[in-house]
Amino acid sequence: MLAQHVSKWYGPRRAVTDVSFTIEPGEIVGLLGPNGSGKSTIFRILCGYLAPSSGTVAVAGFDVMTDSLDVRRAISYVPEDAPLYDHMRVEEFLRFMARIKGLRGASAASAVEAAAARLDLGGVMTMPAGKLSRGFRQRVSIAQALLGDPQLLVLDEPTSGLDPHQVIAVRDLIRALAGRHTVLIASHVLPEIEKIATRVMILLDGTLLTTDALKGSREHPALRLRAAGPEAAIRAAVSAVAGVRSVAAEPAGGDAAEAAEPACYLIEAERRPSLAPEIIAALAGCGIAVSELSEAAPDLERIFLDLTRRPLKAAA
Amino acid sequence: MRNFAVLLLKEETALFSSPIAYVVMTVFLLIMGYSFTLTLFLSHQPSLVHIFFQMFVLFMLTVPLITMRLLAEERKLRTLEVLLTAPVSEIEIVLAKFVASMSLIALMLLLSGSYAAVLVLFGDPDLGPIYSGYLGLLLFSAALVGAGLLASALTANQVVAALVSLGVFLLLWIIDNFGWLLPSPFDALVTNLSLSVHFRPFAVGSVYLSDVGFFLSVALLMLLLSVRALARR
Repeated sequence: MLAQHVSKWYGPRRAVTDVSFTIEPGEIVGLLGPNGSGKSTIFRILCGYLAPSSGTVAVAGFDVMTDSLDVRRAISYVPEDAPLYDHMRVEEFLRFMARIKGLRGASAASAVEAAAARLDLGGVMTMPAGKLSRGFRQRVSIAQALLGDPQLLVLDEPTSGLDPHQVIAVRDLIRALAGRHTVLIASHVLPEIEKIATRVMILLDGTLLTTDALKGSREHPALRLRAAGPEAAIRAAVSAVAGVRSVAAEPAGGDAAEAAEPACYLIEAERRPSLAPEIIAALAGCGIAVSELSEAAPDLERIFLDLTRRPLKAAA
Repeated sequence: MRNFAVLLLKEETALFSSPIAYVVMTVFLLIMGYSFTLTLFLSHQPSLVHIFFQMFVLFMLTVPLITMRLLAEERKLRTLEVLLTAPVSEIEIVLAKFVASMSLIALMLLLSGSYAAVLVLFGDPDLGPIYSGYLGLLLFSAALVGAGLLASALTANQVVAALVSLGVFLLLWIIDNFGWLLPSPFDALVTNLSLSVHFRPFAVGSVYLSDVGFFLSVALLMLLLSVRALARR
């Protein structure tokens, strides 16, 4: 998928401003942004439901405006709030969606059966969609998107309305789709994106702030060190290791028991591979005992807040 | 047009699973049955001419009820988003909705054929005007359904869609009265827009290609505009 300089105006209001990005086959890309930041508008443009005011979008080599049907054959879309035909029974709806995606006869039936099994819809297949709970509606909507084995799945807030068990199940399902399908997923829930996506894009007020929020963390991996000893000596020993970019003491918790624990440090490295063996050796050389040294997960929350505050500050 | 049959089946299911279809059919048949019986007993004439004119008026009142939900409801419930991001063309969607609505009207006309059957069984009616009357009603309702579909494509509010259709139908019904006030050649132009001017010959047994062409052209133009309205996003 290639989006180039996409903008969208709703009358005098600009919803999306000059958005450009690419998505490679097999990626799971998260689009993170607060409510009203333009995520759904971008998704509707990518799926050909809305025309961009300017810019172009190509999916699987087809332009969304001029080769709309080819694009729609390659994409499956799960809109926010899972709109369904309320008068249709779930099985009837899935069969209908399978047929309009080009599946016929036995292949349609087996695709419906497989999608229903993946989303655990067995108990509601004969129920009218209008009588389903929010969670089941969401699952039916995701099930229809899986029909026809699309190259690209575009999911707008797919876990909203689901209970924690269902959230985990959907998250596992999306992860299982990696490699076979390309997935673009939007959410305003930060931990959700953090757990699913391999790349995160951040959107604020219609402007794409970054196409890879975790790039910095990947290029400069961070290590979390827990060691007992004088802070100055630890900092000096670690800083002396070639390839260490910075060492920062992490603030201790207010708990008295926690305060007695060895202090914690966040070490940022220049590059991969991990510098753990060198750091352990340097600390051991200074007689400092290491309690823990592990790779720190990228702090998406901090990255998100940094990125979204910067434009707000600039605007102020 | 691979998906036309699939979409048509969905539309027929939606239409006949909603109470609107049955209410419209029942009211139509009750009113027409009452009118047919009364006319027959008063006039003692084996003719459906009066019935055709009454059906003409009744269709203008009931077609908006059939067409108002076609696209406005899909837009409101956002199922249009599901449909238009699936590999189906706008032409298939519009045609499926048009044919499904026409099937309801054809069923209403078929059931009203019982009046003609009564005349044939107990009298000796002239069948020409009966055939032409039904042909005229079918063509006339195709134009109405096309216009109703366009109104439904332009809004997400079903009531607005119904009122716009009704307003346009009533205006085009009586527009020939306004035509008489205009100088030539505008009088002919406006008079020829009138639905009743083009329907009247069918009801009395005359089939003119110009009238057939008028209703077919209106229906096709409305369908084309509906497709454009759906494609404009």
